[in-house]
Amino acid sequence: MLKLAIGGILCFICAYLGIVGKNYYDKRFKYLADFNDYLLALIDGISYSKDRLPEITKKYLTTSKKQFANDLSEYLRLIESGEGEDKIAKCFDCKYLKKGDKEYFKDFFLTLGKVDYDTQISRLNLSKAETQKMLTKAEKDCKTTGNLLSKLGLLLGIAIMIILA
Amino acid sequence: MERLLSKLLPLALYNELYSVCNFDELSEIRLRVDKPVFYAVNGKYKRLGDGTFRIGSTDVEQILSRATKSSLYAYNTTILDGFITYDGGIRIGITGEGVIKNGGLCAVKNITSLCIRIPHYIEIRDKRIDGIVKNFANTLIISKPGYGKTTLLRYMIKSLSEYGYNVLALDERGELSGISEGVQTIDLGECTDVALGIPKISAYASQVRSMRPDVIATDEIFGEKEIDCIADCVRCGVKVLATVHSDDLSNLKNSALYSRLLQHIRYVVTIIGIGNIDKVVDLKKPQL
Repeated sequence: MLKLAIGGILCFICAYLGIVGKNYYDKRFKYLADFNDYLLALIDGISYSKDRLPEITKKYLTTSKKQFANDLSEYLRLIESGEGEDKIAKCFDCKYLKKGDKEYFKDFFLTLGKVDYDTQISRLNLSKAETQKMLTKAEKDCKTTGNLLSKLGLLLGIAIMIILA
Repeated sequence: MERLLSKLLPLALYNELYSVCNFDELSEIRLRVDKPVFYAVNGKYKRLGDGTFRIGSTDVEQILSRATKSSLYAYNTTILDGFITYDGGIRIGITGEGVIKNGGLCAVKNITSLCIRIPHYIEIRDKRIDGIVKNFANTLIISKPGYGKTTLLRYMIKSLSEYGYNVLALDERGELSGISEGVQTIDLGECTDVALGIPKISAYASQVRSMRPDVIATDEIFGEKEIDCIADCVRCGVKVLATVHSDDLSNLKNSALYSRLLQHIRYVVTIIGIGNIDKVVDLKKPQL
C-alpha cells in the first residue's frame, strides 16, 4: 500500500515536471509572438507617422497584458525617465527566454531609437525576419519537445509506479 | 526649467552647473566632446569650473537619447537642419559628421557638439515697446545671437494678443511656444495661434490664408525666399513682427537683401542683452 502511495506521488511529480517543461516552451513561444506583434506595431508607427517610441509602446500596451507587456512597461518607464542603459539591458531578462534570446532582446532594445529613420526602418525589417525565424523554431519546439516532455513525464511516472508496485 | 534640465542632462553635468549658476538666468550651455563646458548667462559665456570638467561621447548620446525620448528617427528632418527641440522649448543645436547620399545630406553621425538654448519669458517693462504694441506697425527686432531676440519676441506676441490682435506665431523649431506633445509650456497669449513644426516658407502661404491673422510673428528671418514671403504678407495687409541676426541696423541697410526687407518695416528694435532694449528706431522718422 505504501509502495503504491509513493509510486502515485512520484508519478504525479514526474507528470508535473513534464507539464512544467511543456509550459516553458509554450510561454517562450507566446513571449516571442508578443514581441513580434510589438515589432509590427513599431514598423507601422514609425513608417507612416514617425511616432515616438513611448507613444507606440503605450498604444501597444493597451492591447496586451501578458509577460512581455509587463517587461515592456518597465522598458517604457526607463526610457521616459531617461535612466541608464544597464537597466534597459535587464528589462527583458525573462525566465522563459534562452540565453541567445536574451542577448537578442538586449541588443534590440539597446539600439532601438538611436539611429536615423532609414537605418531604423531597415533594422526593424531585419529584426522582423529574424524574429519570424525564431518564432517558427519556437513553435516547432513547442509542438515537438514541449509535447514530448509532458508525455515522457507522465510515462516515466507510470513506469515508476508499475516498478514500485 | 530646473526639472527639465535635470531630466535632460547627465547627473554629473547637472550638478556642476547647479553649483555655479541660477537656472532661471541660464540661457545657453555649450557642450563639446572632450572639451570644457561653457554656459551663458545673459549672453555672456563662462567656462564651467576650472575647465577640467569634460563630457564624453556617451554623455552626448545620453542627452540625445533623452531629448528624443529614445526616438532619434522621429527627428531625422530637424537633425538634418541642425537641431532637436526638447520639452519646454529648449532647442538643442547639433553638429557632427554629415553622411552624404545622392549628393545630399541624409544623416548626421558622430555628433560632437551640442548647443543647448534655454528659453525665457521675461516681462519687459519699456514704454517704447508698449508704444509699438499699442499702435502696432511692422516691427523688426535685431541683435547678435544670444542677446534675447526670441525673449522679446515672445513678450511682444503676448502683449499684442492681450491688445486683441490675432497673432499667428510661426514656430518652425518649437522654440517660441515650447509646445511639447501638444501642450504649450510658454504662454503666448489667448489670441495667439501657433503653427508648430511647419516649414516657414509653406506656412506663410497656407497658414496666413487659413488662419487670417492680424499679425504674423516669426523668429530668425533667413534668406531671400522668406523676405519675399514677408513682402507678400504685408501686401495682403498682415502686419509682421520678426527677428533677425545682425550687429546693428546699418549692417542691414548695407545688405542688398535685407534693405529690401526694411522697406516694409516701420520700427526696428535693437537689444543689448536679455530684457535690455537699446534703441527703437522709427524708419519713417529719424529716431524715436
